[in-house]
Amino acid sequence: MVKRLIAYTLLITGVVVAVLPFAVTFLASLKTGPELAKGVFSLPDDAQWHNYRQAWVQGQFQRFFANSVIVAVGVVIPAVVLSTLTGYALARFRFRGSGLAFTYLLLGLVIPLQAMVVPLYYVLRELGMLDSLIGLILPQIAMSLSFGTLLMRQCFQTIPKDVMEASIVDGANSWQSLWQVMFPLGRPMIGTVGLMFFIWTWNEFMLPLVVNINPKYHTLPVGLMYFQDRWTANIPLIAAGATIIFLPLILMFLLFQRQLIDGLTQGAVKG
Amino acid sequence: METTATGVERSSTPVRSSRRRIGSLEPWLYLLPGLLIFTAFMAIPTVGTIILSLTDWNGISWNTALFIGLDNYTRALGSGQFRNAFINNLQLIPFFVLLPAVMGIIPATMAHQLALRGGRWFQAGLFLPYIMPGVLIGVVWAWILNPIFGPVNRLLKSFGWAKPPVWLGDFTWALPTVGMIGAWAAYGFCYVVFLAGLKKIPTEQYEAARLDGAGFWQEFTAVTLPGLRGEIAVVLSINLINALRAFDVIKTTTDGGPGSETQVMALYMINSAFGSNQAGYGAAIAVLLSVVTLVGSMLILRLAGDRDG
Repeated sequence: MVKRLIAYTLLITGVVVAVLPFAVTFLASLKTGPELAKGVFSLPDDAQWHNYRQAWVQGQFQRFFANSVIVAVGVVIPAVVLSTLTGYALARFRFRGSGLAFTYLLLGLVIPLQAMVVPLYYVLRELGMLDSLIGLILPQIAMSLSFGTLLMRQCFQTIPKDVMEASIVDGANSWQSLWQVMFPLGRPMIGTVGLMFFIWTWNEFMLPLVVNINPKYHTLPVGLMYFQDRWTANIPLIAAGATIIFLPLILMFLLFQRQLIDGLTQGAVKG
Repeated sequence: METTATGVERSSTPVRSSRRRIGSLEPWLYLLPGLLIFTAFMAIPTVGTIILSLTDWNGISWNTALFIGLDNYTRALGSGQFRNAFINNLQLIPFFVLLPAVMGIIPATMAHQLALRGGRWFQAGLFLPYIMPGVLIGVVWAWILNPIFGPVNRLLKSFGWAKPPVWLGDFTWALPTVGMIGAWAAYGFCYVVFLAGLKKIPTEQYEAARLDGAGFWQEFTAVTLPGLRGEIAVVLSINLINALRAFDVIKTTTDGGPGSETQVMALYMINSAFGSNQAGYGAAIAVLLSVVTLVGSMLILRLAGDRDG
């Protein structure tokens, strides 16, 4: 009994410590400065939603948010499709060079962005992609491919051979059997992979920091950093900006908790 | 059905050879788009880092690049700034690696052994910080620990501590504070990995230990720790990688300061390459950073993981 009490206390403390900073930030975003000075845990007397309007309009968060969404969609969908194609090729066909191609694509798992960001900047400069969203999208598709290929190949390998062969007997070519048979069967894994790509892209900081100087192309994390620099003392406003970033993540987390935890614990190895 | 059958039959004899050629090309057609984009934006820059690290280049126009062999490396290894950054990374290790592992394994063991209820909620709550961007974590903690309007020092002052530390701005406290933020961000992740591992340990092992009269601590060292060896290896090596690559949280909380008390390798690399226009030197630091990370994580995997083979 005492043991259980200790265990529950420990776990509840752990959860409170993990969640409290976000809760307190959300509360701060709805207060006035003087109100916040009186205490962080109290509920706001009168919710100051205009903090959000100010962050959204004057603070440019509408632009950062739109950029983040464009980049996330621009990375996640192509990266999922390309990983499906590479994973399928490596799982379905036996051909010379398949081992080499697989190893090559997996190298991305051990190469973090830090190891290549300096030349990547100059590659993007040569391509005229500095200060643009496409300059954030293409590298992040490449960075996602290793993990995607690994998981999609694994997933397609677990689908029994006769399922695939049945579709070929029905006269489907490999392209048709991919989209009509394999893709629907692999959907749970495809969902997990897509979620991982989304979180990584939404949270990416170093790449946009280095590649895009023009605030027009900032995504949320970089936008928040400069925002914090400019408004250091206006905590409610900074808190509103922070909430704009973490609310979509919390929403995702509530909806897809299991896939996210499974995927992130597996995908943690990725840079 | 009939049409497909005849269709297949008709094409089978004359077109066979060309079909087989397409057949061997087929997987490459699926691989092609992925390989192209991977090569352009991962492989070429990676090789580029190594090449660039052997040059002296201001990053402006290509024809100013000068091949200088290993000079950048000798310069980095001899530089006080690089050594300071490297040592700071090492000093983050106890906070980023060991602390969250301990903070994860103890509650995970208790929750598993006592079969506590509400596991899903605990898991969700504890894991939350791990999905958050480092910038957000940095901004939120910079406020919480702000010496003037942060809640922590307000609380400490109300308890009668007239001059509490200024945490992230303090020469002695800045690095441990950044370390604690890193530990805070990781312990829930460690908890989740350990709990999943504990579920895989056969219950008979615990029963046998209990029959032998083992107490909680003996059970922990004789059954739990060996049973979790794989998970421990994974957690420690991932935490180590995060300690050696630390960037986002530090950039947004201290930006390396005060002075260069929290300067780390990744920050020094970015500042050298882009802040002071020494692309070659920055690339050399990137290579050193990658080598250190690779060696470190391989060492941990070797020590903790492979033995049970």
